[in-house]
Amino acid sequence: MNGRGISARRGQFHLAIDAFDAGTNGTALLGRNGAGKSTLLLVLQGLIAYDGVVDRPKRCAGVFAQPAVLRGSVLWNVAAIARAVIGLDERIARKRAKMVLSRVALGDVLDLDARRLSSGQRQRLALARALAIEPQALFLDEPFANVDADGRPALRQLVGDYLAESRCTLVLATQNLIDVTTLCKKAMVLENGRPVQTLDTSDIDTSKNQYLQALIAESSVAR
Amino acid sequence: MFEIAARSVGVSLAATLVAACFALPGALWIVYGRSRQRIVLLGVFNVGLGLPPVAVGLAVAFTFWRSGPLGWLDLLYTPVAMVVAQTLVITPLMGTLAVVALRAVDPSLNDQLAALTVPARSRLRLLAREAIPGLLAAALAGFGRAIAEVGAAQMTGGNIEGQTRVLTTATMLEVSRGRFGAAFADVAVLLGIVAIVAGGMLVLQARWR
Repeated sequence: MNGRGISARRGQFHLAIDAFDAGTNGTALLGRNGAGKSTLLLVLQGLIAYDGVVDRPKRCAGVFAQPAVLRGSVLWNVAAIARAVIGLDERIARKRAKMVLSRVALGDVLDLDARRLSSGQRQRLALARALAIEPQALFLDEPFANVDADGRPALRQLVGDYLAESRCTLVLATQNLIDVTTLCKKAMVLENGRPVQTLDTSDIDTSKNQYLQALIAESSVAR
Repeated sequence: MFEIAARSVGVSLAATLVAACFALPGALWIVYGRSRQRIVLLGVFNVGLGLPPVAVGLAVAFTFWRSGPLGWLDLLYTPVAMVVAQTLVITPLMGTLAVVALRAVDPSLNDQLAALTVPARSRLRLLAREAIPGLLAAALAGFGRAIAEVGAAQMTGGNIEGQTRVLTTATMLEVSRGRFGAAFADVAVLLGIVAIVAGGMLVLQARWR
């Protein structure tokens, strides 16, 4: 997918991106809070008003940083979306929902009211819901931020496997270097709503960009 | 008596169902639509809230009058005319309450469903489902107003025995005849019906917490 001459305003903030291209290799959006990562994701999904042209596949799936859920059980939340989007009949939708939910480790809480999930569990549910519709483009906004540390690798693996088998486009906004290096080949660094650098993720180590250097420093301090 | 009570319930229930067919889509459009004209409909709903049933009854009666624009339908003093009048009386009330119920739904849900490319029709269905407790309350308010109102029922139904007499118009008649016992009986049945409907609503709302 790609975008040309994108311009969007949210209050004082102005996002301006001349050219955005994302292939099947995964594109990371990096930058400080308020740099425009989430706004760009919303524009790419067509969820806020913008000027310019964005070419997106027909079936997309977005996972928000704070996912909203529907009234009803965890299983129903996923099955209802699968039915509404791809028109599966109820039995098949429930079967698929069960399978995806077990892969995000929510298999034990299928009958729980989704509104009672913790924020990490909600993110797991949101990811399951997104994958259940087999999207051609996946937009993830800090998708694993609240997920327990030992659960994250499995979720990254799940997303990675899906990308590999479906040739789906991924655009990922994150503050986590491991997300970037495991899921993305390309990265765009944003500052004040403008792209300041576009690079291969393998070159992040050698970048002069102050934010990227801080990102690397932090993850090496942790080790 | 049973026949009068049954007609009261039937006419009010029909009016509530018809009104819901206008109020719910209208409210969905007001809350989730993009057009600027939405504000006009909200204004109509709000003005309609204060509309006296007698005025609505008069307007409907005039329309169905033999020499009126829809006189050829021959509907004046029939239950159909009563349903039309009561629908006009309660649609603004139900619409306004439905708007409030829908606005209480998490606003990011609409974006979330759009982000999953859920088609517009399914999206509105799922959003309305989120608001079910509030929408049930709106329906109850509409039914309550319809069954309790007397002006429009009298004006468009004419209180004809065996045809358009309902509990409220019957009560008025009994009082004017000085038969207070019968009037109290009518009112007691009316209160009983409202209590039963409210009880049923409690059960439904408990299910849709």
